[in-house]
Amino acid sequence: MADFNVEKREVGAVSILDVKGFLDAHTAPNLENAFNGLIEDKEYKVVVNFNELQYISSAGLGVFMAYVETMRENNGDIKFANLKEEVYNIFDLLGFPLLYEFFKSEEKAIEKYNQVK
Amino acid sequence: MIKTHHNRKVEYAIIVSVLFFVFKIVFPIYSSSILLLVNEILVLLSFYFWIRYVSDFINFRISKPLTLIINSGILTALLFFIISLSSWLFTETQNSVTDTNLIYILFSSLIAFIFIGALSYIFSVYKKICFYRQKKDPSFYFNTMLVFFVLTSLSASFLSPDNSVESLKTVDNFSIILGLNNDFVYNTLYIVTVSLILMNSFRVAWITFLNKKQKISLLVIAIVLETLCTINVVSENFTLINNFSPTLNHLFNLVNVYGVIYFSIVFIFTLIQLPTAEIIDRKSDELTSFKDLSELMSQVIDVEELYEKITSTALKVSNSDSTWITVNNDKGFDVHSAKGIGIVDAKLFSETLLNNNFVSTSNVEIIDLENISRNYNLPQTLNSIVCAPLSVYNKNKGYLFTARKSNYSFGEEDSKSVSTFAGFAAVALENAKLLEESIEKERLEKELDVARDVQYKILPQETPNFENVEISALFTPAFEVGGDYYDFFNIDENRFGVVIADVSGKGIQAAFIMAEVKGIFSTLSKLDLTPKELLVKVNQILKDNIDKKNFVTAVYGIVDIRKQTFTFSRAGHSPVYYTRDKSSEKLIPSGIGLGLNFTNQFENNLKEMEIKLNNNDIITLFTDGINESINEHLEEFGYEKLESIISDNSHLSAKEISNKIMTSVSLFTKDSSQRDDITLVILKWKNLN
Repeated sequence: MADFNVEKREVGAVSILDVKGFLDAHTAPNLENAFNGLIEDKEYKVVVNFNELQYISSAGLGVFMAYVETMRENNGDIKFANLKEEVYNIFDLLGFPLLYEFFKSEEKAIEKYNQVK
Repeated sequence: MIKTHHNRKVEYAIIVSVLFFVFKIVFPIYSSSILLLVNEILVLLSFYFWIRYVSDFINFRISKPLTLIINSGILTALLFFIISLSSWLFTETQNSVTDTNLIYILFSSLIAFIFIGALSYIFSVYKKICFYRQKKDPSFYFNTMLVFFVLTSLSASFLSPDNSVESLKTVDNFSIILGLNNDFVYNTLYIVTVSLILMNSFRVAWITFLNKKQKISLLVIAIVLETLCTINVVSENFTLINNFSPTLNHLFNLVNVYGVIYFSIVFIFTLIQLPTAEIIDRKSDELTSFKDLSELMSQVIDVEELYEKITSTALKVSNSDSTWITVNNDKGFDVHSAKGIGIVDAKLFSETLLNNNFVSTSNVEIIDLENISRNYNLPQTLNSIVCAPLSVYNKNKGYLFTARKSNYSFGEEDSKSVSTFAGFAAVALENAKLLEESIEKERLEKELDVARDVQYKILPQETPNFENVEISALFTPAFEVGGDYYDFFNIDENRFGVVIADVSGKGIQAAFIMAEVKGIFSTLSKLDLTPKELLVKVNQILKDNIDKKNFVTAVYGIVDIRKQTFTFSRAGHSPVYYTRDKSSEKLIPSGIGLGLNFTNQFENNLKEMEIKLNNNDIITLFTDGINESINEHLEEFGYEKLESIISDNSHLSAKEISNKIMTSVSLFTKDSSQRDDITLVILKWKNLN
């Protein structure tokens, strides 16, 4: 099946995860590794850029839930940016926008972090 | 086949011996040279046949040359005793060739046959040992020597001046006729024979293959045998046998000469090889270890067990004090089964050597630790290390370390054997790993079967039976188990509950959460709760029973027959379609998925919706397996298609609509494998009047 890829960037104090492709039960461990790496490096302010994400399954959604608590406990968060409409709808149906912050663009998400500071 | 062959040989040997014995009784003394000739030919024949018979036995035991030599030594000693004993018994009968006393004849025949038997055995052993472990066939030289044995013996019987068969005056005539000097012929033949013995005696390759202990015992055995043979050679002619057959006497003499020469050479060679014996022992140990390991490769399934075996064998092969294995992983390496060294130290040494490029991924390296230990602050326990890469198909998987504590550093030889061994070990490890992976795969497949089983058992076997409602429920599993679930609950005579849920994730974990969810729903459905109240309670219960990363989406609804209503709440689940008169409405009342949030937020955001049911109204509940079905271009089936199928076919029965949807989905996905479970529950209201 289609591939999934995650890359990390840093913009100031915020870590950006660029997710690409198909995030499902098989590829979710890749994303988990990326989050583990962030926690290890004590980088708790995370923006996930969904610009190139084609598909997300329930197992993929679960990854964010697993890590958001740790981020928030350490004055950080996981913010979602640049979601395609279809992907956003999946989050929306689940009620994610009630629990997480979604942004039209990566910059807005970073801005939000910086405002708080 | 072999057995009959055996019997034949023993038959021949017995026939010739009996023949000889009869001949001996009829002609106790050879009064003519013809009789002597016949006598000697019969001796040689019996000798020949007994050797042939005995050889077969020796063939079985040739793998233990030392035992054979000891046996032949015992026989040589036996012959020596017989000679001494009978010389003492029959001193007065010496030279009494003419004695025809029957007892004497019987006795001498008995002794002669013991001699023939024993000599056959001894000679066969000598021959076998001479042929043992030879690369080239030595039979030509050996057979030539045999011919000269016979010629010398015969010449001694007929020509030699010190032949005691003095009654045979004709003997002299022979030589006179031939015009030869008796001494000359005999001596020439004797010298040629001895030189041939010398030539054959250098076939001592088999000594090399003995281990050190065996070589030391061989030294002792060789001396004893040499002495025995020498005594037999130099002792006076054994009159009894000489009278019986001079040829036999001479053969006995020659075999002993052979023994003296051969065992002298064996002694010298063994002595020479003794210092190198240890190296040869080690080489053969190595070979055995390799053999053990290659056998292990086909047996061992457990990688840990293999690590143990590799290090314990490496310890032997390299003659070192410590060994351990490092296996590469994502973060660096793991140390496995360290022997003769603590795992912490092993890790420390490996880290230092690997990180500072003292080792190579392609070649074995001998590392002198004296300076390195000082420079990198390592414990001063090890003196020298051989590090061999464990590589398969040019891919480095780790390293095999062997280390010595003593000042005796590793040499080229050691590194070579460790390297060879590491090559074997790498392949063995790779094999074990592949095997483990395929077993793991099989286990996962089994697990999937179990999960699938759980799933089927959890789903309702039948749909509730209400006159006012047509119910169609359908579940199509994906190859990999998802977490879809639907169920119906009878609340009272007028009401029933319906739930459709999707557990996040896949596999056995999802299946178990699903089972849990079913339990919660069936219990709560018995209480008189509204859909919202029920879902809030489900969420509360899940709080302590679900992993952080798992969640469940669900729609719970209650159909009230009397009130003609469908009341439902949606917790993060796919929309509900409400269809009336060929037009559908996508209902998405607000609601967060179960397990996503355990604060008031969940309750506050959960809305309840009530629909008044009219004749032919259709409620469609489904899981995202339908709208997320993909075709070969990775396009999704989507909501629009689903909606239009329901709308267009709303005049059909619930079952028929369900079939239409599934046909459409399968036409869309064609050959693409189903990504997720599909669950579809359709309710169609029927007014009774």
